[in-house]
Amino acid sequence: MAIVANLDVIMAKRKKSAGELADEIGITPANLSVLKNNKAKAIRFSTLEELCKALDCQPGDILEYVEE
Amino acid sequence: MWNPAKSVILSSVCTKLVILLVFVFAFIAPNLVDYYLGNVAIKHPDTAFWFLVTVYACCVPALYALYCLDRLLANIKKKEIFIEKNVKYLRRISWCCFAVSLLILIATFSSLLLFIAAIAAAFIGLILRVVKNVIEQAMILKDENDLTI
Repeated sequence: MAIVANLDVIMAKRKKSAGELADEIGITPANLSVLKNNKAKAIRFSTLEELCKALDCQPGDILEYVEE
Repeated sequence: MWNPAKSVILSSVCTKLVILLVFVFAFIAPNLVDYYLGNVAIKHPDTAFWFLVTVYACCVPALYALYCLDRLLANIKKKEIFIEKNVKYLRRISWCCFAVSLLILIATFSSLLLFIAAIAAAFIGLILRVVKNVIEQAMILKDENDLTI
């Protein structure tokens, strides 16, 4: 996995639970879990926008490129 | 009102009816062969026995294909359409069609007219193969879509 989602890190920093965040950005907890566990194949700009808004951060804080 | 759910039920009922029909046909096949003796397909009494053998041999892939079709419809009823299992069922049905086509091709020793039936069976098998390819691609697309958050 070259692109890694560091959602749990930023969620811990903002002290937000998964259920709370899922509710706030309007996706199901199951889908948020897919994203958190790096099982997702793609992320919509709209979801990313909501995530950045809810966690008050930049896309770069959530997504990271890791050399394989 | 007519809706997709009812359509699936109709297909399911039809499949079960055809399964029943195959059994009835298998049961009365010897009488049918006797009746048609000397007519179109079975010109000689000696060929009648071997013709019957091919008819019964055809029943095996036919019943297996119908079983697969029934399972496929059961999955569609459960709203599980683009899954690995359905692709597998479609592939098996397609191979059953090719098997029947081959068996009928062997049966052309009794009448060349059966050649048309063999071509028809092979053609259905080919169409099902293409449908299988489509479902396979759709499965990949669905997977991609499901994992887009």
